[in-house]
Amino acid sequence: MAAIEGPAGLAGSPSRVSPLPAIEAHALRRSYRDHVAVSSVDFTVGRGTVLGLLGPNGAGKTTLIRMLSTLLEPDSGSFEIAGLPRTETRRIRQCIGVLPESPGYPRWQTCQEWLTYHARLYGASRRDARATALRLLGEVGLGERAESLIAGLSRGMRQRLGIARSLVNEPVVVFLDEPTLGLDPHGQQQVLDLVTRIAGERGATVVLSAHVLAEVEQACDHVIILNRGHIVADGTVAGVVRRAAAPRRGVVRVPPHLRTHAFDVLAAQGLVADRTGNGHRDEVELRLPGDEPPEESTSAALRCLLDAGVPVLGLSLEGGRLSDAFLAVTQGDGNG
Amino acid sequence: MADLDAVDAAPTTGTPATSAGSTWTVAEQELRDLWLSGRGVAMLLAYTVLLSITTYLIATNQELNFLEQREAVSLTLQLAVAVGGLLVVLVAADAVSGERERGTLESLLLTPAPRRSIIIGKGIAAISLWIGAFALAVPYIWWIGRDVGTFGVAFVGGLVVGTLLALALTGIGLLISTFSQSNGLSLALSFVVLLALYVPHQMPAEATRGWAGELVLKLDPFSAGLLYLERLIVNSHSLSQDLGLLVVPALCAVGLPAVALLVGGRLSLLPRSGS
Repeated sequence: MAAIEGPAGLAGSPSRVSPLPAIEAHALRRSYRDHVAVSSVDFTVGRGTVLGLLGPNGAGKTTLIRMLSTLLEPDSGSFEIAGLPRTETRRIRQCIGVLPESPGYPRWQTCQEWLTYHARLYGASRRDARATALRLLGEVGLGERAESLIAGLSRGMRQRLGIARSLVNEPVVVFLDEPTLGLDPHGQQQVLDLVTRIAGERGATVVLSAHVLAEVEQACDHVIILNRGHIVADGTVAGVVRRAAAPRRGVVRVPPHLRTHAFDVLAAQGLVADRTGNGHRDEVELRLPGDEPPEESTSAALRCLLDAGVPVLGLSLEGGRLSDAFLAVTQGDGNG
Repeated sequence: MADLDAVDAAPTTGTPATSAGSTWTVAEQELRDLWLSGRGVAMLLAYTVLLSITTYLIATNQELNFLEQREAVSLTLQLAVAVGGLLVVLVAADAVSGERERGTLESLLLTPAPRRSIIIGKGIAAISLWIGAFALAVPYIWWIGRDVGTFGVAFVGGLVVGTLLALALTGIGLLISTFSQSNGLSLALSFVVLLALYVPHQMPAEATRGWAGELVLKLDPFSAGLLYLERLIVNSHSLSQDLGLLVVPALCAVGLPAVALLVGGRLSLLPRSGS
C-alpha cells in the first residue's frame, strides 16, 4: 500500500490536527458493466499533502475521485476520509470539497449568490454564508466580480469560482479534477497558486488530478500514477521519477576549443557518456546514473570542470522528469 | 478513538444542515431559479395568452348561445387545470435531468444536503407554478361565471382538483426526470404521459358509457378530476356529492410524490464517460 505523508508543518491548522490520515483507501474497485475502471487501489494520504493524481485518459482518475467523494459506490473495497468510513456519506461530504471535472454553473446567478447557496447547504446561516462567499471570492481573486453573473465570467474565472465553491465548508480534503483544463498559461498558474495556498494556508489535503505533468511537478508533494485502473507508481515526485528509471541525459556546453579537455576531465571521473556530443562541437554529454538524484551527478561534473579551469557556458538536463516517468510506466498500453 | 479524531475533522463553517433546513434552502434556490430567471414568468405569460384567447372564444360563443354559461366556466377551469398541469410536469421533468445535463447536479450531490431534501425542494418549485397558474385563472373564472353564481364552487373545486393533480404530476415529472438519461427524453416522456392521462376525458361520450367507460374515467386521475369539476359546475352538484371521483387523484397526489421521494433518496449522478 502506498503511504503518503504530509510535509512537516503542513499537517493542518491547529484545530484540525489529527493523527488519522486524510485519505485511506483499501482495495477499491469499480466497474461499469464489463469495463473495470478502478481495481485494487490502495493508498494512504497524510494531512496537508498535495497529491497529484496522474494517468492517461480512461485510467480511472475521475472514477476514483467520484468514489472518494461519495458520488459513486465502489463495487468492493473501502476507504476513510479524515477517519470517517465510506458509509458515513453525509459526514464525509460535510468535510470534503470537490471541483468536478466538468462543473456546470448556473449562468444567471451571481458569483456571490451561488457561493452563498452552497455555503447554506453545508449548514451555514444566511449571514455567515454570505460572509464566507465574499471572503472566498476575495481569496480567489474574484472579489470585484461578486455581483457579476456567472455567465459573464471567463473560463479561468469560473474555475477559480469552482475552487472557491469547493472551499465553502472549510474542507479537510479537497479534490480538484482537472482544474486547469482548457485554461491559458496565466490561468493555469493562477489555479496552481491557489492549490498551493489551499494546502499551505488551510492545511487541507489536496488531491489534484491533472494532465499537464509540469503542473503536478510544480504543485504536488506526492503523486499516484494510475493506468487502466491500477496504481502503477506512487510516492514523492522525485521518488517516482527515480523508480521509474526514466532515461535521463545531461549536456554541458563548453568553449569548442576546450571540449576535448573537458571530455578528458569528466571521463577521468566516470561522468561522461558520449564523446560525439551529437555533432555539436561545444557539447559534452554527461552520464546520469538512474540510481542517484540528477543534481548530484551534475554538481559533481560542474565541480570537476570548474576545478580544471573549463568555463561552463550552459547546462541542460533532459529526461528524468515526471513526464518521462509517466511515459515509462504507462507507455505501450495504447492509451491516449 | 477513531471516531473522536474523525469528529475533529469536522468543518468549521457551520453545523451540518438539517433536512428541513436543506429542503428550504434548495426550495428557495429553485424558486428563485424559476421565477427570477424569468422562466416561470414566461411560462405563465404564454398560459395567460392561451387562457385569454380561450376565454374570449368561449364568451363569444356564449353570447351566441352556443355554450351555456356554466359550461363556459367549467371549460375555462378545466383548461386552467390542464395547462397548469402541463407547466408543472414540464418543470418537474426538468428538475433532475436538466441539472444533470447542465452539469450542475454533481455540485449539488456533493453537498451534505439529503437527496430527499433536494427532491422536495425541486418539487416545491414545480408546485409553485400551479399556484401561479391558478391565481391567474381566478379572474377569468370570476368574469365568465359572474352571472350564474358558480365562482365559489369553481374556486374551491378548481383549487382542490388542480392541487391534487399538480402534486401527482410533480411526482410523475420528478420520477421520469430521475431516471432519464437526457433532459429531452424526460420532457418528451412527461408530455406523452400527460397526454395519455388526458385522453380518456377527451373520448366521445359513447366510448365512456357503461361500467367499463366509467371505470376508465374514475381510474384515470386526470379524467376523474376534470369530471368532478364538470359535475360540480355544470350539473350543480355539491362539493361532497362526487367525492368518489377524487379518490384516485388523491391517491396519486400522495403516492406518486412518495414514490418520487423514495426513488429520489437514491438520487445519483449517472455515470457518463467515467474515466
